Amino acid sequence: MGAVPVEPGRPAASASDTRTILLVEDEVLLRLTLAEDLRDAGFRVIEAGTGDEALSILYSDDPVDVVVSDVRMPGSLDGLALARLIRERFPLTKIVSMSGHLPVSEIDHELDGFFAKPFPHQNLIDHIKLILEAEPQ
Amino acid sequence: MLSKVENRSALKETILVVEDEILVRSTIAEYLRSCGYRVIEAVNADEAMEVIRHLEIKLDIVFSDIEMPGTMDGFALASWIRKHRPELDVILAGSVRRAADSAEKLCEDGPLPKPYQAEAVVRRIRRLMAARASRQQR
Repeated sequence: MGAVPVEPGRPAASASDTRTILLVEDEVLLRLTLAEDLRDAGFRVIEAGTGDEALSILYSDDPVDVVVSDVRMPGSLDGLALARLIRERFPLTKIVSMSGHLPVSEIDHELDGFFAKPFPHQNLIDHIKLILEAEPQ
Repeated sequence: MLSKVENRSALKETILVVEDEILVRSTIAEYLRSCGYRVIEAVNADEAMEVIRHLEIKLDIVFSDIEMPGTMDGFALASWIRKHRPELDVILAGSVRRAADSAEKLCEDGPLPKPYQAEAVVRRIRRLMAARASRQQR
């Protein structure tokens, strides 16, 4: 430990298999509990409060494996617009949506998962592990 | 301001980071986590107050940007905290440099070895911001 300079924001070399989740949720209490459960499950989690914040991360040099996004969010980019944009520009990034309402959009079939709120966080964790296993790193 | 941190077991310390710029917030938060702190993130003062009002959420330190959009800036948030939760330490950082330096000081008191210097944190944030700026110009 300590001998190799590690760049901030990057997983350490010993944890190079750590996968990164970008969690997009405008409700702070839900975001913090879900983020902590995902971190406890071993994921690196970047928290975004809006679709625009999520875009800033996606366009930075920070690799994101899975975007977990609320559907209804304030701001210029709601969850569906964000999902469409990710499908178009970041086709390798997985998208899991979550909402208090049933999925009714035309891009549902392009999502890698949908969770109706409220849901047990463990179900989401299991699902993310499953979709990441299905594809080589 | 950091005196309480020095006297306590840092393992249990929770820091609420309040910052509206995600590239700064996520980098500072990740740095503090790597030093062993539990870090809660708020995108503005309103979110911070929502977290602080929930007394069951254990907090020790509020680490806030000064200039933030919305109903309250960092100074107003700090005076609100002094009134409602005077036991919380408040650290205000008005620039990326100050935020990284303050985070590094906290890190020195943290339970884990310091993984990288404030300088590296600042460099990373500046690079991320520059990359975004050049994308927006295109």
